[in-house]
Amino acid sequence: MIEDDIYRTSSQFRVWSYTEQSLLSLRATTNVIASDRVRTAIRRAREAQQSATPSATGTPQPGSDVESKASDEKPIDCLTPEEELVFVRYYCESLLELGDEYKPPLPTTVRATAIQYLRRFYLTNSPMTYHPKKIMATALFVATKTDNYYMSLRSFAEAIPGNPSPDDVVAPEFLLMQGLRFTFDVRHPFRGLEGGIMELSAIAQGQGQTTPLLPHQTAESLKQGILSIAPPPTPSSSISDRIGRAHNATRELLKTAAQMTDVYFLYTPSQIWLSALLLSDRPLAEYYLETKLGGPITSSPANPDPSNPLNEIRTKLFKVLSDCAALLQAYTPLSADAAQIKNLKRIAKKHYKCQNPEGANMSQKRDSAPSRAVSSAAATDSGQVTSESETERLAKKRKLEEQKQNGPKDMFGGELVPDRTKGQ
Amino acid sequence: MAASPFASRSPSMTVASPNTAIRLKASAAQSGSGSAGDVKTSSQPNGELTEQLNDSVAQNYDRGKKLGEGTYAVVYQGFRRDTATTVAIKKIKVNADYKDGLAMDAIREVKYLQELSHPNVIALHDVFSKHENLHLVLEFLPGGDLEMLIRDQNVQYGAADIKAWMGMLARGVWFCHENYVLHRDIKPNNLLIAADGEVKLADFGLARSFADPYLNMTHQVITRWYRPPELLYGARQYSGAVDVWSMGMVFAELLLRVPFVAGNTDLDQISKICEAFGTPTEDNWPGVTKLPYYIETDSSQIIPTSGRDFFSRQFPTAGPVGADLLMSMCTLDPRKRITAVQALRHKWWTIDPQPTKNEDLPQKRHAEKKMAEDMSRRGGEVNDGPFKNAARQLDFGGR
Repeated sequence: MIEDDIYRTSSQFRVWSYTEQSLLSLRATTNVIASDRVRTAIRRAREAQQSATPSATGTPQPGSDVESKASDEKPIDCLTPEEELVFVRYYCESLLELGDEYKPPLPTTVRATAIQYLRRFYLTNSPMTYHPKKIMATALFVATKTDNYYMSLRSFAEAIPGNPSPDDVVAPEFLLMQGLRFTFDVRHPFRGLEGGIMELSAIAQGQGQTTPLLPHQTAESLKQGILSIAPPPTPSSSISDRIGRAHNATRELLKTAAQMTDVYFLYTPSQIWLSALLLSDRPLAEYYLETKLGGPITSSPANPDPSNPLNEIRTKLFKVLSDCAALLQAYTPLSADAAQIKNLKRIAKKHYKCQNPEGANMSQKRDSAPSRAVSSAAATDSGQVTSESETERLAKKRKLEEQKQNGPKDMFGGELVPDRTKGQ
Repeated sequence: MAASPFASRSPSMTVASPNTAIRLKASAAQSGSGSAGDVKTSSQPNGELTEQLNDSVAQNYDRGKKLGEGTYAVVYQGFRRDTATTVAIKKIKVNADYKDGLAMDAIREVKYLQELSHPNVIALHDVFSKHENLHLVLEFLPGGDLEMLIRDQNVQYGAADIKAWMGMLARGVWFCHENYVLHRDIKPNNLLIAADGEVKLADFGLARSFADPYLNMTHQVITRWYRPPELLYGARQYSGAVDVWSMGMVFAELLLRVPFVAGNTDLDQISKICEAFGTPTEDNWPGVTKLPYYIETDSSQIIPTSGRDFFSRQFPTAGPVGADLLMSMCTLDPRKRITAVQALRHKWWTIDPQPTKNEDLPQKRHAEKKMAEDMSRRGGEVNDGPFKNAARQLDFGGR
C-alpha cells in the first residue's frame, strides 16, 4: 500500500479537495444562497418593525428605529464571494495571533487546524450569516479537542481577550461541526517537512538512503551531490547551516502563506511543503527531488527519453509545484499592505450592513436548555407572528451585543484593523 | 460529497461536489419561491448551503426500531432509502455532566472512523445532525461480538476458527497502525461480527493518532485485562505495541475461553502479568525501572520470563507455532514485542489448519441487540454483570 492510496481515503481528499474551478463555483453558490437569505431576512425584519411600531405595546425601540431609517427601502448590498474571502482571511490571520495568548502558546498544528476549520466552514457558509469573530474562537477550541491538546473550556475562554463566556465559545460548536461535514482530521504539511529535512541532513552526513529507481546512487555520491549544488539565496556557513535556514524559512511559509491561501484545497500536504521548500532554497529543493526521481526537474527536459517513466513524473511534478509555489508566493498578510487594509475596512463597513439578522439565532444552536425552551414555546404559541417578533428581538440583541463588544479591550469586536497597523 | 454517502468513499466524488451543491441550490430556490403555505419552515426557508448538504444526507435514511441504549448513545436500526441497505444509526447522547461541548469520545470516534476504510474496521457511512443531535450511520453488524462466542458454552470452535478471527483482527489493527492511529481499547466486545462472519474493529472512542516524538499521551487507556505492562507502569510515550498486547490477550482468551490475566485492580493486574509472563526487570526490559509507576520486586520474588514451553503447555490448541506468535505478542518489553505487520508475516497463518472460511465460522444470528449494546457503551467501559469489578476510571484530560 503506497502513501498516495492512503491519502486518497482521507476526508481531506474525499471532501475537501477541489479544482480551482470547482472551488470558485462552490463559493459562488454559497454566496448566492446566503445573499438571498440576507435580503429576505432584512426585508422581513423591516416589515416586522413597521407593523410593530404603531402597535399598542408602546415599547420604545431606539435600536431598531435607527436601523430601519438608515436602511429603509435602500437595496441591500451584499458581499461578493471575493469580499467574503478577504473578510474571512482577516480572522484567519487573527487566529494565528490568538494562539500566542496561551501559556504556553498553542502548538502550530492546533492553530493551523483551526484556520483550516474556519476556511472549510466558510466554503458552505457565509460570513454574512455567521460572523467569523464568533466562529473563530470556537474553531480554535474544537481544534484543541481534535488535535489532542485538550484543555477545559473555562481555561480556554479565559485566555481570550475580551473574556467571552465559555457558553459564547461553545455555542456555535455544533454549527461549526456541521459546516465541517463532521470531518475533523486535517493533514498538514509540517510532518512531511520534518521528514524531508531529516533526509537532507542524513545525506549531508553521508548517511543518505538510496533509491532502487536510481541504481548508480551511493550514500557518498549523494553527499558529494548536495555539497556541489548551486549556492543558496542567502549565504550560509555550512551545509547544515544551509539546511537549517531552509527549514526555518519553509516552516514560516507553511505557518502563514499555506494557511491563508487555497493551497490546502488544491494540493496535497507533500506538494505544499515541497513548493514551500522551493521558494526557500530552490537548488536544495531541486536536489532533494533529484535524489528521488533523477533530474533535472524542469518543465521540458532537454533530451527527453520517452521510455523513462520518471521523465513524465518529473514534468508533471514541476508544473504542480510551480503552480502551488506561485500561490504561496503571492501571499502578503493583510496588515502588511496599506491598500489591503483600506479594502478590508471597506468590506467591514459593507458587511455591517448586510449581516443576516437571523444569523445570531442560528449560532446559538446548542444554547442552554432554558432559552431554547423559551424560544420554542414562543414559536409554537402563535406561529409566524411570534417568530418574526423573535427575529426582531434577536436583531436588537445583536445590535446591543455589537455595541457592547465594540469596547476597546475586545480584539474581536474592536476596530477591525488592530493598533499595530495603524501607523502605516 | 456526502450527498451520496457510499460513493463519498470514492475519490472521484470529490470533484463532483460543487455540482451537488449547485443542484441542491436549484431545488432549494424552487421550494423557496412559491411556497407561501409552507408555514413550518417559513422562518428559515431552506438554509445555508451547509444545512442543505446536511439535510440531503439525513434524508437518505429512515430510522427503524430502537435496538439498545447505553451511557453514550442510543442505537437504532436504520435503512438507506435508495439502496434499501440496513444500517445502524447511533445517536450520540448529550452528556449532561460535560459542559465543554461535544464529548471527547464522540470526537475521537468520528474523527478516526472518517479516515479509516477497511474490511476489518467498522464502516462509518455517514454523519448527520438532526434536531441538534449527532447521528452516526454505521455498518450493521448483526453477528454480535467475539465475547458472545467465547462465553457461550453451546458454541464449539477450534484452532482454524481462531485463526480466521485472529487474522481479521490483525489486519484491522495493522490498518489502523498503517494510518498512524492507535485504537487503545481492543477487547472481545469491541470486535463485532458482520452477517457474513467478518470481524470488525469497533469503538474508536479512545483512539488517537501517534504522537510526535517526545510528546506525552495518557496512560489511562485500554480496559484493564487487555492493558499492557508499560501502561500499567504509567508510560506516557508508547506505540502500536499497546494494541498488539491487547491483541495477544484476545488471542489467549479465544484459546482458553476465559480472560487470561484478569486483575481486580491495576496492582493485581501487574502481579498477574508477572505470574504469567515473568517479572519485568532491567535485564529483560531495559529502562523499565524508570517508568513512573514501576514497582520494585524483591529479588527472591522475581519470576523468570516464560519461554516457549510455557506457552505451548498453556495453550495446546494453538500448536507450537501459534504459541510462538502468542508469545511474541505478549513480550514484556514493548520494543521487542512483535508489530502488527510482523505478526501478519508470522508463519502460523500459512501452516495447517487453514483458517475457516467466513461462511463456515460459528455464528450468532440476530444478535443486533448485542451490537447495539457494544455501540452505545462509552469507551473503556466494561459491561455490568459477571465482570463488573473490572470497571475503571478514564482520564480524558491527559496529553
